[in-house]
Amino acid sequence: MTVRQWSRLLSGAAVLIFVCGATYACKDFLEAPPQGALDEGTLANQDGVEGLLRAAYRSLDWNGGGAGFEWSHSASNWVFGSVTSDDAHKGSTQGDQAGAQDIQNYNWATGEADDYLNGRWQALYDGVARANAAITLLNKVFEEDPDEISQADRDGIRGEALVLRAHFHFELWRMWGNIAYYTEHDTDTRKSNRGEAVADSLIKDLDEAAGLLTSSPRYGDPGRVTSNTALAFKGKVQVYAEDYAGALSTLRPFRTNNVYGLESDFSQVYTGFPALENGAETILAYQASANDGAPDGNNANYGERLNFPNGGPFGCCGFHQPTQNMVNYFRVDANGLPLALSDPAGWNNVDAEWDAAASAAVAFDPRVDWTVGRDDVPYKDWGVHEVGWIRDVTHAGPYSPKKSAYESASGAVSNVGWVNTQLSSMNMHIYRYADLLLLLAEAEVEAGDLDAARAIVNDIRTRAAAGVQGPVGGPMVVPITSGTVTWADYQVGLYTTPWTNQATAREAVRAERRIELALEGERFFDLRRWRAAESVLNDFLATETAAAGRGIATAGAQAFSARHALYPIPSLQIELSKVADEAGNVENRLQQNPDW
Amino acid sequence: MQSALQRLHSFRTRRPCFRAAGMSLVFALVLCGTARAQQIEVSGRVTSTAGDFVEGVHVLVQGTDIRTTTDAQGSYSLTAPADGVLVFTAIGYRAIALGIAGRTILDIVMEPAIAMLEQMVVTGYTEQRRADITGAVSSVDMESILNESSASVLQRLDARVSGVTVDKSGNPGGRSTVRIRGISSFQNNNPLYIIDGTPLEESFLNWLNPNDIESIQVLKDASAASIYGSRATNGVVIIETRKAGTTAEPRFTLDVKAGMAQPVRGYDAFLFTDAIQYHEVVKRAYENAGLAVPGHIYGSDPENPSVPGYIWPNDGVNQTNDLGQFGYTEDDYLWGDINQQDRQFMPASRGTNWWDAVFGTGYSVDANLGVRGSTQSLGYNVSLNYFDQEGTAAYNRYQRGSARVNTQFQIGKFRIGENMALAYEAAHGGMGDPEGFAEDNIMGKNILSQPVIPVYDASGENFASGKAIGLGVGSNPLRMAWADKDDGITNLRIFGNVFAGFDFTDDLSFTTRFGFSLLDQAFVNFDPIQPEDREPTFQNGFTEWYQDFRDWTWSNVLNYSTRLGDAHALSVLLGHEANKNQNRFAQGSFNGLITTDLDARYIQDAIGDAGTKNVFSVGGKSALLSYFGKADYNFAERYYLSATVRRDGSSRLGPNSRWGTFPAFSAGWRLSQEPFMQDNTFFTNIMLRFGYGVTGNQSIPAGRTVTQLGGDVQETFYDIGGTNNQVQVGYRQTSLGNDSLQWEENKSMNLGLDLEFFGGTVSLIIDAYQRNTDNLLFDPQQPATAGQQDPPILNVGEMRNRGVDFSLGFQGRVGNTGTWRVALNGAHYRNEIIRIDGVSNFFFGPIDTRFGNQVINQVGDPVGAFYGLEWDGFFENDAAVAAHVTQDGAAPGRLRFKNQLTVDTNDDGVPDEVDGLINAEDRVVIGSPHPDFTAGLDLGLNIGSWDFAATVFGTFGNEIFDVQKEFYVFRLFETNVRKDLLDFSAEVDADGNMTNVGTAKYPRLDQNDAFSRQLSSFYVEDGSYVRLRTLTVGYTLPPSVMPGTRIFLQGENLFTITGYSGLDPSLPAANINASSGDVRDQYRGVDRGAYPSNRVLSFGINTTF
Repeated sequence: MTVRQWSRLLSGAAVLIFVCGATYACKDFLEAPPQGALDEGTLANQDGVEGLLRAAYRSLDWNGGGAGFEWSHSASNWVFGSVTSDDAHKGSTQGDQAGAQDIQNYNWATGEADDYLNGRWQALYDGVARANAAITLLNKVFEEDPDEISQADRDGIRGEALVLRAHFHFELWRMWGNIAYYTEHDTDTRKSNRGEAVADSLIKDLDEAAGLLTSSPRYGDPGRVTSNTALAFKGKVQVYAEDYAGALSTLRPFRTNNVYGLESDFSQVYTGFPALENGAETILAYQASANDGAPDGNNANYGERLNFPNGGPFGCCGFHQPTQNMVNYFRVDANGLPLALSDPAGWNNVDAEWDAAASAAVAFDPRVDWTVGRDDVPYKDWGVHEVGWIRDVTHAGPYSPKKSAYESASGAVSNVGWVNTQLSSMNMHIYRYADLLLLLAEAEVEAGDLDAARAIVNDIRTRAAAGVQGPVGGPMVVPITSGTVTWADYQVGLYTTPWTNQATAREAVRAERRIELALEGERFFDLRRWRAAESVLNDFLATETAAAGRGIATAGAQAFSARHALYPIPSLQIELSKVADEAGNVENRLQQNPDW
Repeated sequence: MQSALQRLHSFRTRRPCFRAAGMSLVFALVLCGTARAQQIEVSGRVTSTAGDFVEGVHVLVQGTDIRTTTDAQGSYSLTAPADGVLVFTAIGYRAIALGIAGRTILDIVMEPAIAMLEQMVVTGYTEQRRADITGAVSSVDMESILNESSASVLQRLDARVSGVTVDKSGNPGGRSTVRIRGISSFQNNNPLYIIDGTPLEESFLNWLNPNDIESIQVLKDASAASIYGSRATNGVVIIETRKAGTTAEPRFTLDVKAGMAQPVRGYDAFLFTDAIQYHEVVKRAYENAGLAVPGHIYGSDPENPSVPGYIWPNDGVNQTNDLGQFGYTEDDYLWGDINQQDRQFMPASRGTNWWDAVFGTGYSVDANLGVRGSTQSLGYNVSLNYFDQEGTAAYNRYQRGSARVNTQFQIGKFRIGENMALAYEAAHGGMGDPEGFAEDNIMGKNILSQPVIPVYDASGENFASGKAIGLGVGSNPLRMAWADKDDGITNLRIFGNVFAGFDFTDDLSFTTRFGFSLLDQAFVNFDPIQPEDREPTFQNGFTEWYQDFRDWTWSNVLNYSTRLGDAHALSVLLGHEANKNQNRFAQGSFNGLITTDLDARYIQDAIGDAGTKNVFSVGGKSALLSYFGKADYNFAERYYLSATVRRDGSSRLGPNSRWGTFPAFSAGWRLSQEPFMQDNTFFTNIMLRFGYGVTGNQSIPAGRTVTQLGGDVQETFYDIGGTNNQVQVGYRQTSLGNDSLQWEENKSMNLGLDLEFFGGTVSLIIDAYQRNTDNLLFDPQQPATAGQQDPPILNVGEMRNRGVDFSLGFQGRVGNTGTWRVALNGAHYRNEIIRIDGVSNFFFGPIDTRFGNQVINQVGDPVGAFYGLEWDGFFENDAAVAAHVTQDGAAPGRLRFKNQLTVDTNDDGVPDEVDGLINAEDRVVIGSPHPDFTAGLDLGLNIGSWDFAATVFGTFGNEIFDVQKEFYVFRLFETNVRKDLLDFSAEVDADGNMTNVGTAKYPRLDQNDAFSRQLSSFYVEDGSYVRLRTLTVGYTLPPSVMPGTRIFLQGENLFTITGYSGLDPSLPAANINASSGDVRDQYRGVDRGAYPSNRVLSFGINTTF
């Protein structure tokens, strides 16, 4: 090349070097931070920690996209605690929510059931993770700036997070038994589920929380847990662990000191009226909110949204239908006491629908009509329940759930969301005082103090008689003596004579528990705790599917057997728990429950 | 004299022009003596198939020395024997031999050639002569491309380039999934598109008018692609638009095409359209389960079913036949009152053909007007396009208007110009861009709607749906389509670049180019109330969103090329490139609009329920910075060497690991130029090529190097104060960061052979390759115990693709006036995951079915393998049930699943025995969506004024997981089902013995069978098919009628040969964006109800004036 060419080459190169240099000199060129996201530094203060804690509370009900299959996680746990029992069917139509259908029918190994179980598992462990995240950030903030959060709030935050962590683990424990307990110290997310003393961990957390928390909620927020919540949960854990002595010492003070109380009438237990919510009976409730700016209304009891009459004013979806068996169980004898106790052979012999005409002269516990929607009987203040409100009567029978329904006059309904009429701000109980009292009564029975147990049951029965469903056109709640009730002969008798033996007492307490807590997600676990599940549920299957009037919901069910004592661990989670060692051997850290 | 074409090429980059090695595209060599005949004056005009006059065409009287060359108007004139033969040859075109037969005017249309060694090919910041390329580069036959009618050119690439597959649906303007040589990443396998030098990553390319495209090159291996290092892992598609005409005078072209499309197949081909026939399925299912057959619709006697007068939500118990039995007359009709839903009377249908109700003929028109020309100092092309295509689904339409202005000025040694396109697109209805589930859109609702459901209710004014029990939970698919008619998405796009260059010397030039892509998207959607549904909605809603993308790329390239002596040719390129992109998305929604008027659909407090207003916005930013260089050398066109290196920095990767270096080299040996081959007359070209190189991928979402927190009013906020309507703020970890993210790297090796023989009439290009991608970027799912935040993106493993692709071309003559050509291309690849790092060696696919996840990515299997139980026939009787291990729900006539080896007795990590139970552990890989072989066949024939062309595509050995069987076989949600269930379901007699073993294809109809439908190989079918993609007949009008005019008729997808029992084996990939990016390739070959391909008939005209 000539000199001239060289000089041109150099000048060309110079141009290129110049432009390269110009952009490279701009050193920040490759800096592109995430847009519209927060980092931990921004939240390393009390507001941040409180926000993480609130998110843990939010997990008490289904909380959105990240938390697994949407219908399987709810505050009431209706799928796994109620539909699997003799209280309720999945409802709707046969093919609808095949996962819940398989759960109902004890076909727990199908892919659909597996998905449902996985949804619940994911949501609960997400709650655990959210609680632990609050604790972890709390500790970090304290390390960096010990004065940022006051001692009282530090104790409060930790205490609340511990109770929530215990609650989520408790739910995992009573479903799957063999679970791993995760604290803020755990970094390995693939812990083994074998050999874990879950009850001990629960009680340890709850004890610590009870020590950290005060008896009134921080900032007066009714949604927060207190030291009493912690102890109430501890008592429940002790009953589940069959540590009745422990349960007695934990639970007796509640009654002695009137820490909580029963609502004045049963209509006020499940209610959408804001003034009646968070009353004396509430130990822990999911604080539902509607019309709060959430575009899809997801805070308004998402997990419960299928459980409304399909027709009438609700429009959808007709799930969680009470069984004929359960309605029969509300019948009472001449003394106003459960017919099931005085006539164990005959109480369940009615296959025909209990509509208003059929029950007009029949003695019923009035709680039936706060629990079950029956044809021609007023449905809270929505008018009478009609045949057309049921989605498919041939499938799961003629009844609707009622506890999950808010009152028309309560203004609790959401204005947004898919079938917004099924979304409301009505709080769902996770733990209420009547539940605690009946657990205490069980413990008293097991400890031999039958009169103490009887007193408790009578308290509950007294309240049951305090207010009953009123007719259309009048007040929604009327006295049991009002004479305006034409669809049943409401009777609630008290156990006036002492129980003669422990077995009788046990039966009475258990019967009361079924009636009082029907459809509240407890029945299946109670049956299992009482080691009665196999006999009761197989009897239930035999009678429920035999009669045409009762629907065919459980026609495809398999017998309840020993392996159904625990739900199978979701296969996906077992797969995800696999670890391979250096030699390539794969170990399942999560091991499946027996015979699944 | 240089042809105009050549002048244009040198106009852009000055490169030495080589003597053709393989240019002798001569089939006039075999001469026969011609008898003396009368000499006549012959003249005529040569045009290209694109309508341009072709200058510089050599016209030779066969067997003589008489020759001439066409002028700028394509005209020629010479004296020849009246019975002689004229041979027309031109670089880049197929030679034509034509008998004179006494005619004095012979007008010729010349077609571009298949193998065009002389063609200049844009291969990355520069051009190369086709013959000098040593990497794996395929050129697309642009003429064949124009025989299709889709909006996007991407959809037309299928079958036309070896090693390139395109998955798409029949949705007009739908998404295209272009894959080059298989799949090399767990996320984002889109090729990089370089349009006139400006990079672009997207899956549609609808804004680019296919008529504007001059050439498309596909860079398939790293040695070719690594000059684009940073984003070239998935191959590069280089698209050049038409820059200028060939004539000094402006030439106008007008191309108009009109077409009509119908679906290739409808659900009505295999689902019930008769209500009474459908009832037979329900009847058997209940009877076989020992249950009473529901009588509320078809009457209480299942043996004599009848279609009732009405279906509507009556009391839910009794037969729906008679309004009067419930105290109503038709006058009581009332629509849309939540408390009076049982007054929405719907007349029952004897059999609604839901497919016909929604799908039918869609019409389309594609009009192009262009003007182009070139002078010494100016080249220009200006074009306008209007494209309007109706979908085959009702109320579904895609429209595009686009304008392009490409100009370049040459002022001495200075060049300046721009290539710019402005496009406006509007799409309405259809299926949008589905994310996998069809049950929520018009396709799924077609299956969900039983034949007894009418289209309209008793008033005839409102849509009906299955509101009575036993009719499922579907929505009226026609109503869905109708509701979307005013909804849609619009795109306003400005894409292009401005450039300037300076030629320091003949050898040295500098080019700077500033490219930009600006896109404004707007979306509106109004959902009316749906009171007719089984799960009704009584509240309307309105959503709109806006999104803008701003992306710019600035590149600067110094080009030096020279010849040292006669034999050495060297070119060197140095460059720099900077890229920035950002986007912003804002959405608002709002419910309870008090007017449904089109003009009232805005988010304003007074128009609807102000309390339901919801607004949010999100965005992203990222940047790339690159330096690169390339050197090409050849010795006497015999030995070739090429080396590339590129260094890229990406903002998406870890601060200390964001720079990657991507080297490549290739070598070529043209044996045919060797002295020892000089006597060979058989081969005109033999070239052996080898290349190796590294390319990168960083297409993960921006900002994932740090842990992010956030919150959402309905996922983390909580009403802790118990107010019932005020939530307080809550936070959670939304994603985990990884600050050591590094480049995903693809190391690719390619060995290629190019052959041309029989005087250039046969050509073969064959390439074998291996591509290993390491440091794969992905975010494997964590156990639930870690919480539900997005897992960190990791460099997680390695996968390998090995394959072969080839293209084989033939061309020849038909008599004196015709030519024919056949091009066959084929490809085979095998994808395998080699390694997954971390604690486990697999992860599941991105989407669950209703029954679990049926896709697994695990070591030793390909990406997106199907996973489930192995279907092992039917239980034939109780003895067979007893003989099998425990399988829940086992009964005669139900599906039997295989018990796999799941127990490891000797603790060697390999299961060696079976257990006693069929459960989730028995799942195995049951199929693969990857084809064994794909092939395309392009056929062409020109006889005189007639031209014929056809394209056939075939894919072989791929499997389809037909999730729709959940519905149309298992009747989940009481949907419509396959007609052949009546003939081919397992039958079991009273003794529990199956009576149709051998012919049964489906399990026994059984309402209580919740077991046979478990995810298994029952859902998997062979997805092979062969389809006639296009068939075109064209006729060039005699100049006396209309000069420069061709009319044509074309058909697309006229027939398909397949064994697939579903709707259409040609499945689009779903649009699945996971937390690690675009993961659609983990979900290929899954039929969730795709908008089927279209059978199209079009008529068109091309004119030049």
